[in-house]
Amino acid sequence: MGFYHFLSLGIILFAIGVVGFVIRNNTIVLLLSVELMLNSVNLIFVAFSRYLYGTEGQIYVFIIMTIAAAEVAVGLAIVVSIYRLFGTLDISKIKLLKG
Amino acid sequence: MLFKAIYLLPLLPAIGVLINGLLGKRFGEKTVAFVACTSVGLSLILAIGILHQMLIASPAERVITSSLYRWISDGSLQINVGFLIDPLAIAMIMVILFVGFIIHFYSIGYMEGEPGYRRFFVHLNLFIFFMLILVMGDNLILTFVGWEGVGLCSYLLIGHWYEKKSASDAGRKAFVVNRVGDFGFMLGIFLVIVTFNTVNFVELKTILAGNHGIPTVTLAIISLLLFTGAVGKSAQFPLHVWLPDAMEGPTPVSALIHAATMVNAGVYFMCRIFPFLQQSQFVLPIIALVGMITAVYAACCAVGQKDIKKVLAYSTISQIGYMFMAVGCGIYVAGMFHLVAHGIFKGLLFLGSGAVIHAVKGEQDIVNMGGLIKTIPVTAITFLIGLLALAGIFPMVGFFSKDAIIMGGYETYGIVYWLFGFGGAILTALYCGKLFGMAFLGESNFTGHVHKPNFFFKAPLVILAVCAVFLGILGIPMFTKNTYFAQFMGSSFNLGAGGHAAAGHGIPLSLEIAFTLILSVFAIAAIVLALFMYSKHRKTMVDFESRHKGLMMFLLKGFWIDKLYDTIWVRPLKWISFYSDSVCDHRIVDGAVNGTGKIAMEVGKTLSRMQTGYVRYYAVSIVFGVFVLVGITMMFLF
Repeated sequence: MGFYHFLSLGIILFAIGVVGFVIRNNTIVLLLSVELMLNSVNLIFVAFSRYLYGTEGQIYVFIIMTIAAAEVAVGLAIVVSIYRLFGTLDISKIKLLKG
Repeated sequence: MLFKAIYLLPLLPAIGVLINGLLGKRFGEKTVAFVACTSVGLSLILAIGILHQMLIASPAERVITSSLYRWISDGSLQINVGFLIDPLAIAMIMVILFVGFIIHFYSIGYMEGEPGYRRFFVHLNLFIFFMLILVMGDNLILTFVGWEGVGLCSYLLIGHWYEKKSASDAGRKAFVVNRVGDFGFMLGIFLVIVTFNTVNFVELKTILAGNHGIPTVTLAIISLLLFTGAVGKSAQFPLHVWLPDAMEGPTPVSALIHAATMVNAGVYFMCRIFPFLQQSQFVLPIIALVGMITAVYAACCAVGQKDIKKVLAYSTISQIGYMFMAVGCGIYVAGMFHLVAHGIFKGLLFLGSGAVIHAVKGEQDIVNMGGLIKTIPVTAITFLIGLLALAGIFPMVGFFSKDAIIMGGYETYGIVYWLFGFGGAILTALYCGKLFGMAFLGESNFTGHVHKPNFFFKAPLVILAVCAVFLGILGIPMFTKNTYFAQFMGSSFNLGAGGHAAAGHGIPLSLEIAFTLILSVFAIAAIVLALFMYSKHRKTMVDFESRHKGLMMFLLKGFWIDKLYDTIWVRPLKWISFYSDSVCDHRIVDGAVNGTGKIAMEVGKTLSRMQTGYVRYYAVSIVFGVFVLVGITMMFLF
């Protein structure tokens, strides 16, 4: 179990998050994917913090966790209002931004 | 004490403008008229006071200057707002205020019940204000301000009945033609500034009286440029076309602006800058020539006119031509005397014509009048006095003033000049006779009730007629350069020891009297002949005119000069404007402006296709973008 294992896990998780965000249709799953990406980044921060003997990375992790909590609250609220507005959570059916 | 208050002269009419213009919305006609007349009347009283003070002062002390404040300051060039009143200016001011006041009074009756009554009086007061600025300004720039101001008022008042197309067109024509002259005027001012570094009349006169060493050619160019301005404003030969059309304005306007005051501003201005003319040799003959051509040409045209006001308009052009003849001979005093005389009798004639037009309900064609002497005798008699003065019949004022010009011309330029002056005078007598004969004598061609003039019409006519008869006193003693008028004015035209005005070689008194007698006899004969032919033998004359239709049209249309200008100036200009509009503006300018917009729209449309609305595309593009950015950064870092 070395530094590269942690790093690899973080990258894999991040990639899963990105791919999930891009290919899934359900809005809640998209939110989950975003959380996954955030936490993969957290993992990489912690790993670097441990192996480079610094504490800054850990500080960022706490900030990110706080923000993630707030973000989930806002995100879920948005999901609820999307459902109320469109009657669906299928993101491929919602394209108000089309130019 | 009065000399300190000269700024009040223009201020009072300005106050009238402000009261009527800003507060007058609810005023009745009577209040408006009262304010307007009072403001001019007070100015007139003040001017009379100043004139009186000036008369009792010794000739050397007859120059009042008063500087209000520094207006433009540019290095050593200092331009003040300041006033200068000398005998030359006060003579002009008296004409402006006296005739102006009478015409204000006359307008109360003439404009009664017209829409735009207040507007009319505001413009009239504004005109008086600007005219006084023009005359009193002690430097070229301030005079120019007045010059343009009266031009503006003239435009506004010609187009007073702006709903009428012909009236608004005439206003525009006056404005545009004056632009031509004013362009020369401005160039003249610039050249004065460059050459002398001052624009103050007194300073300029002092410089020119001394040993200045400025080349004569420069002075001549300055004089000619300034003369161009005068030609435009005073409706002289090449630029006279606006004045006959200006008769579209209300008759009091024609009387005040286009006969008595504004159109004479050119003559006044030439007298004001006489030191320039005096020292540039070949300019004076040019001025005399222009005046001569105009005097004879306009007199010819006046003979052929049918409209009572147009006869007077052409006669005004012709009489101002005489004034320029005087200026061109260097006899400025005679020119100014004729200006004053003309202001009186032409004002009288125009007011008379207004009364006639009012009496016959807007009819202006003299062919349709006749026999009016029986129905409106006061108007007829005062009109006759005005015409006699215009024709230069003894003992009217015109006799003295015109004779001085024609004799002075003979003295300076010889017999040819005298013959032209003589010819012009005979033509003047002819159209005077024709006008009176057609309108007032013979059988009436007018069907319908004739309005009797009321007090507001009669009083001004009588006052001016009395002046026209008795003002000739100023021209006594005759045949000398030392008339009463000249004694008063003389000090204005002294240019130190260098050049003395009117340096003629002198002619024997007997010859002068003989010439005057010849002129008078011929003029009287012409006027009597015309009177007789157009009243008793009117039928013959009308037949004669209809047989020579071509000639009469030629005269009526002013030698087709309007048509000529239309062909060589107006049409090409219109064509260029049309071309600019349809090609330059619509295609090139609009094309560039609209093209820019179109390009932006097209680009936007193309790019907007990238906005699919699918969240995942945005996400992919973000990821992709991060890869690109990180890739580039790494490339440069390692």
